[in-house]
Amino acid sequence: MVNFVALAREHWVNILVPMGFVIGWYLDKQQDQKLTAFRNKSVLFSRELKPGEEVTWK
Amino acid sequence: MLKILIPTFMLIPTTWLTPAKWLWPTTLAQSFIIALASLTWLKNLSETGWSCLSTYLATDALSTPLLVLTCWLLPLMILASQKHTALEPVNRQRMYITLLTSLQFFLILAFGATELIMFYVMFEATLIPTLIIITRWGNQTERLNAGTYFLFYTLAGSLPLLVALLLLQNNTGTLSLLTLQYSNPLPLVSYADKLWWAGCLLAFLVKMPLYGVHLWLPKAHVEAPIAGSMVLAAVLLKLGGYGMMRMMIMLEPLTEKLSYPFIIFALWGVIMTGSICLRQTDLKSLIAYSSVSHMGLVAGGILIQTPWGFTGALILMIAHGLTSSALFCLANTNYERTHSRTMILARGLQMVLPLMATWWFIASLANLALPPLPNLMGELMIITSLFSWSWWTLALTGAGTLITAAYSLYMFLMTQRGPLPPHLIALEPTHSREHLLILLHLLPLMLLTLKPELIWGWTA
Repeated sequence: MVNFVALAREHWVNILVPMGFVIGWYLDKQQDQKLTAFRNKSVLFSRELKPGEEVTWK
Repeated sequence: MLKILIPTFMLIPTTWLTPAKWLWPTTLAQSFIIALASLTWLKNLSETGWSCLSTYLATDALSTPLLVLTCWLLPLMILASQKHTALEPVNRQRMYITLLTSLQFFLILAFGATELIMFYVMFEATLIPTLIIITRWGNQTERLNAGTYFLFYTLAGSLPLLVALLLLQNNTGTLSLLTLQYSNPLPLVSYADKLWWAGCLLAFLVKMPLYGVHLWLPKAHVEAPIAGSMVLAAVLLKLGGYGMMRMMIMLEPLTEKLSYPFIIFALWGVIMTGSICLRQTDLKSLIAYSSVSHMGLVAGGILIQTPWGFTGALILMIAHGLTSSALFCLANTNYERTHSRTMILARGLQMVLPLMATWWFIASLANLALPPLPNLMGELMIITSLFSWSWWTLALTGAGTLITAAYSLYMFLMTQRGPLPPHLIALEPTHSREHLLILLHLLPLMLLTLKPELIWGWTA
């Protein structure tokens, strides 16, 4: 237990960069969803997806 | 984009909060992880060419190789600087790493920017950490002079760019790279338009540097500490090439006529700086002039504006970034042992540091563009596109490659062969750290020969 506390006290800073990665990844994902929110939703241009096609554009 | 940018920013608090004994291993490991994560940018699946899109940032085939190079270089700089900062107080070491990290942060923002003004601001912002690194951690008093040259050459070149960009904003209503390529071509006819053309390119030509406005570069390289030299040669010069490639789209009808003198200057510079290298006594200065020579070729390739020219320029920029950075690291291993940059004072090192001589050999061959390496691919594409523009350029580029081979040989023979001078009696052996450092430069270079489409850019 003491070892764990010592380890945490010595090395807690190592969590900062991975934390930044997770936050960045989340924000990137949010942004992607925002930018593709209206993909294939237009009444004029929307179409059926071909077999095996995931989205109309990437 | 943010998944690399935010970790890079978080590296700064990590640097300050980590215990002193873990400072270098922690920052090295974490920056290396960021570099590995940045390799995901190379997988570009989007159909528009732009990926990782956000409101202000995006990557495309042109910026991705440069972004990855930027991220790759930070761990290498940290690896290279451990020895010479070891004797300094720990807070100063932290400050040093913070400056290097902030430089990477600004560079990612510069290469990733979708707005030209944001690119401009970040282009200028990179000056600050670089200036502090040169003037604070340089070895001699001349570093102050070098810092002044570095700052004022770049600033004087880039202020016209600010005016030119504001003018462009007025005329087209946008500075976004995503929309600018679809805007109507500007009617460029008057003398003012020609001045505007020069204003758009001057900043990048100074940064590149073009022969004639290159004097800041050897000074800055010679006086900077190793990390400063590395980042300057590998990435900061490429900001110039990248900016030029981005601006070229807007300058279309004028460039054809106005670029003649600049192409001539660039090619003449290849020969002149190559000849300067041939009679250089200072090792770092030699490598710096060799950078000017290679970047002259890049400038020529970009100004000629053919798809091959652009592709060759991008390939040569990446290849030269890795090669010249490796050469600076090798020069630094000599400097850390002999405390002198003068080549004649440290000869015959092959006898004492044989494995290091192998690295010198490979790096010299890369510098003179040996066949399988991307250096040759880049040079060949640029020379070919210049040749198809005018036969006479072959006289300049051909002589340039010959001189490059000659001074690379001169550098190798001067440092590695011959008798060991009698004053070198107690040389430190090489460290695994140094071998790893050079390996991490040369391995990507060799791997790129197997998959060059990663650095072809959008034109090929």
